[in-house]
Amino acid sequence: MTSKTLKPYLKYLSDSHIEEIHDGSLDLLENTGIMVDHQEGLEFLEKHGAKVDFQTKRARIPRQLVRRALETVPDRFTLAARNPEKDCPLIPGGRPYSRNGGGADFTIDLETGEFRPLLHADVKDYYKLMDALDGISFIAPVFGQDMPVLGRDILMLREAFGHTDKHIHLRAFTGESLKLMFEMAVIVAGGKKELKERPIVSLLEAPISPLKFLDVTVDALWLCGEYGIPLDVCVMPIAGGTGPMTMAGNIQLLNTEFLAGVVISQLANPGAPLQYAPRPMAMDMRTGFSLAGSVELGIMATAGAQMAHFYKVPVSLHGPWSDSMTHDGQSILERMYMNMMAALAGANVLVGAGMMQQSLVISHEQLVIDSEINHIAFRSVEGFEVNAERLAREVIDRVGPGGNFVADPHTYKFLRGERFEPTLQYRNSREAWEETGSKTMVDRAKEKALAILEEHQPNPLPEDIRKELDEFVPKALKSLEK
Amino acid sequence: MSDILVQMQKDLYAGNFSEVETATKTALDLGMSAPEILNDGLIAGMDIVGRDFRAGDLFIPEVLMSAKAMHAGLEVLRPLLAESGAASQGKIVIGTVAGDLHDIGKNLVGMMLEGAGFEIIDLGTNVTPEQFVQAVSENVADVVGMSALLTTTMLSMKSTIEALQDAGLRDKVKVMVGGAPVTSKFAEDIGADRYAPDAGAAVDTARELVALK
Repeated sequence: MTSKTLKPYLKYLSDSHIEEIHDGSLDLLENTGIMVDHQEGLEFLEKHGAKVDFQTKRARIPRQLVRRALETVPDRFTLAARNPEKDCPLIPGGRPYSRNGGGADFTIDLETGEFRPLLHADVKDYYKLMDALDGISFIAPVFGQDMPVLGRDILMLREAFGHTDKHIHLRAFTGESLKLMFEMAVIVAGGKKELKERPIVSLLEAPISPLKFLDVTVDALWLCGEYGIPLDVCVMPIAGGTGPMTMAGNIQLLNTEFLAGVVISQLANPGAPLQYAPRPMAMDMRTGFSLAGSVELGIMATAGAQMAHFYKVPVSLHGPWSDSMTHDGQSILERMYMNMMAALAGANVLVGAGMMQQSLVISHEQLVIDSEINHIAFRSVEGFEVNAERLAREVIDRVGPGGNFVADPHTYKFLRGERFEPTLQYRNSREAWEETGSKTMVDRAKEKALAILEEHQPNPLPEDIRKELDEFVPKALKSLEK
Repeated sequence: MSDILVQMQKDLYAGNFSEVETATKTALDLGMSAPEILNDGLIAGMDIVGRDFRAGDLFIPEVLMSAKAMHAGLEVLRPLLAESGAASQGKIVIGTVAGDLHDIGKNLVGMMLEGAGFEIIDLGTNVTPEQFVQAVSENVADVVGMSALLTTTMLSMKSTIEALQDAGLRDKVKVMVGGAPVTSKFAEDIGADRYAPDAGAAVDTARELVALK
């Protein structure tokens, strides 16, 4: 008999816990409700049967409405790439993919090691680097602080299209710029229908915890539905701050917020692709800072993944993530367990590569290391094949007691493919290590980043598309000024 | 270079031993000399294998497969080479030292050396200084290679070198040592000629030592 090993899913919640949390969320939506800072959104919810108080902008959503919305939310979709070989199909029980943490404003200078603002020139380098790293499946924006504030999101997308043929994850500053970015994606995809079939961009939107939906969030939910753009419903209460102190309470709250997002999206656009993105945070009670690398976040996120599996929707979790100031031992320690827990929780997407210090700082070295950390996570959940040939009873018999397997044909046959071959982990002798300069892993990561920036040539946009984009972008920026 | 030798090198790289054997015979039929086939075909082919192994592109079992292919060709040439005395790169006695039973590393070194064309006399594990001395003497070895995995047994390397001295053999044989706890400093301290950190390096080291003789 031949078969693959089990998916090694990590679980904290029992089935009855899951039912209790689900039921609790239905109860909260019906009785406490959500705040929706969007007149049309409130009218829309009222029309569908919610109890709306327009004075306080509060909508109380009956449970049958939630159930109806859950029926149409898809269990799978593909984050398509300009180059189809780099597509990321998000499938229940499928392999995880990964992206960098989006929205960094600072960097650690690759040459000098100095902490400084991220600039436009860095943005190009970062996109190029992430395009080359195969442990980073798709790319989220980083922001150049020397770029104009108005339309910065649009310019970031233009740079991304020019530097990668991977899927691109967007950040939008306003509803207007979001629509313009979708029109840019239409140009690159070759039409609105083509974009819907193969969405080459996706978006993340986060309600404000607790239970508040801003106008831009409602706009985004609807616009994504209209264009068929996959959306991460990112729910991120900060335990002890914007969420209850208890882990259970944080899960209860974020699950309620996710379901509210499902209602607003699915009732307007049934079947719109949504991803459950539980990003439970925790407030450090000494400083008030929001923590990224605390082990409890991994535990809570795992419970969040269980809720996603219960609702049969793809799930995106914080993967390589850290509070550290730079790519040091703390950073690598924190992101290693965060990423491993997320992968073992059954995440479809591992988010965070490159990112440190309250999601403010990104570094080249950290991205290179995280590409490797992601590969380790991918390998861990992949398991292995079990069949007669691989169980190797005949081989063990042939080699016999006291022999060795090094020169056996079976070893030769399975030499490649059984193991992940790391590119950064040093595994040779001390002599060889000293001869080559006694470099640490961070030194090696830096060398690799420099080599990639020197040599890598991203796959350019086709000439006609490039022209069309370059005509569109200045007009788009101008339209924002009005 | 002739097409047949180019193809032979490719087959050698891929570990296709019967193809290498056939190509060796064909090359002889075409009128090439045995030393020419050995140097420009088999050894030149193994040099490419060695280069890619050091670069990390090939794994040990693949090198061993190529070595097996080289031996298939070498067997065809051996009777002809014996006349010119070019069959062996040198004789090496190897063993895991007294008190130590770990042999996978020593076996790897043995296989890699054999692949590179050396003649190997493997004494196994828990080899006493007296046994090393006897084997070096009987085989007229060029090199003796000692392995140890334990800090407690690596001192046997020193006793073996002293025994070689007492038997008057030390200036007739080169000594190389290796194993997890061994360092080049230690090798120097006990009077060994060389330290090799891994199986690949052992081949280069053995070549250097034989050349020094």
